Formats: sequence, structure tokens, C-alpha cells
Amino acid sequence: MDKLKTISWILFIISIMFIVYALIFNLVNWIVYAISLVFIPLSILSFGLISMARGKKEDEEDKRKEPFIGY
Amino acid sequence: MNLMADILLNVIIAFLVGSVLFGLQRKIMARIQMRPGPPIIQHLLHTFKFFIKESAFPKTAAMPFYIAITAMLCAIWVAAVIVGPVTEGSLLLFFAIYALHKIVEHNAGSSSGSPYGKMSCVRAVFSAAAELPLFAVLIIIYLKTGTMNIGNIVTYQGHYGPLIWGIPLAAMMFFVLILSKAPYSPFAITKGKDIISGYETEHFGLLRGYLMISESIAWYMLLWVFLTVFIGGLSPIGYLIGMVLISALVALINATTPILNPNHSIMVQVSLAFIGVLGSIILLTVY
Repeated sequence: MDKLKTISWILFIISIMFIVYALIFNLVNWIVYAISLVFIPLSILSFGLISMARGKKEDEEDKRKEPFIGY
Repeated sequence: MNLMADILLNVIIAFLVGSVLFGLQRKIMARIQMRPGPPIIQHLLHTFKFFIKESAFPKTAAMPFYIAITAMLCAIWVAAVIVGPVTEGSLLLFFAIYALHKIVEHNAGSSSGSPYGKMSCVRAVFSAAAELPLFAVLIIIYLKTGTMNIGNIVTYQGHYGPLIWGIPLAAMMFFVLILSKAPYSPFAITKGKDIISGYETEHFGLLRGYLMISESIAWYMLLWVFLTVFIGGLSPIGYLIGMVLISALVALINATTPILNPNHSIMVQVSLAFIGVLGSIILLTVY
């Protein structure tokens, strides 16, 4: 697993843990607002970074070498 | 209900309803232009599809800002959901969120390193100069009701009737603001097709899907604020009908109007803001 995927998994698990924690316990309002503002966007982003498809490593060179055919 | 559950529920509703309304808008625009158009849930499907598409990050992008800016857009519209349906807080905070949205448009464009993004970033500043005066509508609402609190404005309307009859020009100004945020709008100069997708040009794959989630929430929230502030507290069905009607009206305008040249767009918006503010003050003085 590459570095980006590992970081994304860690962020995703932390975000979900905080959201579930706020769902189970009745915390002070401002803490819930802080959790929502930071961890809802972060959970979606980290989920996206996990679920996105990545190009094959062996194709990378071909993509760079492709001649410029625009215009 | 648990506060976190309330926030999550409202964010999910805002995303789903906003996405379907965008789809409806495209469908109506297509039918007006004699095309069959995509299914109404197409926008929603596109959003999900982008999350599993192959993504890459351009070499010219300013990392990690290029990714962080998308999270920032989501965060500010989650904040709008908290200020709006969850707590019925201050309209002033909503104004701050809208101003931040313009800053995000600007920074998303400049962080990508694409010339189209940079052009859009310049236009975002340009359009902010015209859209923010439209928010002078807040002053008119304050002068009329004596409060900026959404809950108190709803209570005021319970006693004196919908504000749309009392300050119609302010409602018109807010409607123009909503119109400027719609895709294919005559005022959508930051995403004009002459600059491909504007500030979103280099945000593709999952980042585009992420931006689309935030934009759907933004659309729902703008309509929610319009309906709450000018018509009053409605039932969920009332909100849904109101949102569908406004989206249909916006689609009609967008389908029949070309995207204006940036100078014209700014001039039209500034002129409408001027007429709206002056007219509303005269109306408030007379009645």
C-alpha cells in the first residue's frame, strides 16, 4: 500500500471514530460543531482518496512519453 | 435528537436534495431546448462515479493546498447547514460563509496552476465585487425586522406575513444571488465554457466529485435561506415544493439566456443591487 493510501486510511478511521463518538455521547455543543466542521469533510475526502482508482505504475512512463498531438 | 445526528441528517438531506435539484434543472433546460436531457438523478450519479474514477494530481498544482481547498469548500457549507436548519442562527454568519465561498473559488483556481483556473480565479474576485453588494439584502431585512437571527425572522413573519410582500426588491436581489450560483447561469462567469470548467478545470476525479457534493449542499442552503427568510418557516413538503419551483424558474432563465461577458455580468448585478437597495429603502420609508 502506498503512502497516500495509508494516510487516507488513518484519517478515515480517525474521522469516523470522532463522528461516532459524538453520535453516542452527548457532548458540549461547540465540541460537536468542531467535530462536524473538521471530520465530516475529512471523512469524505479520505474516503475518496481510498476509493479512487490509480493508474498502473507501468503505464506511467507511456503516459509521459506520449507525443503531443494537440492543436 | 442528538446534535451530531441532527447535523449529519441535515447534511445528507442537503446533499441528496441539492443533487436532485441540479439534475432537475438540467432536465428542464434540456426540454426547453428540445433535447431529451439526462435523467434527473444524473448529477447524483456523476458525483458517486467521480469517487471511483482514476485520479491524478497535476505537477503544476500547489500541494497540499490544491486538495485542502476542496475540503475547505465542504467545511464552509457544512457550517452553513449548522447555521441554517440545525441552529437557525444569524444571517450574518451566512454572509460570511458566502464570502468564504468566493475565496475558495479564487484559491481553487489559483492552486491548480492551470491558465483556465487562473482566469477563473481573477473572475471570482471580479464577480465577488458584484455578488457581495447583493447581500446588502441583509441590511434591508434588519431594517425591516430589527433582527438578523433566522429564528426571530421566522417568528416576525408569523405575526406580519411573509417578507417577500414587504421587501420584494430585497427578495429579487437574493434571487439574483441564487441565480449567479446556478450552473449555466448568465452570471456564472467563473465557470464559463470559454474557460473550460473555470476553477474546477484541474480538479477532476475524486476532487471533482467532492466539489460537486459541496456545490449540491450550497444550492440546497441558498434555496433554504431564501424560503425561510422571505416566505417563513415552512413544512418539509413546503420547502421541497418551493425549492423545485425556484430551481425550475432558474432553469428557465438559464436555458434561454447565454452566459454574459464578465463585464456585462458585473454591470447587470451591480445595477440590480443598486436598484434593489435604493428601491427597498424608498419602500421602507414610504410604508
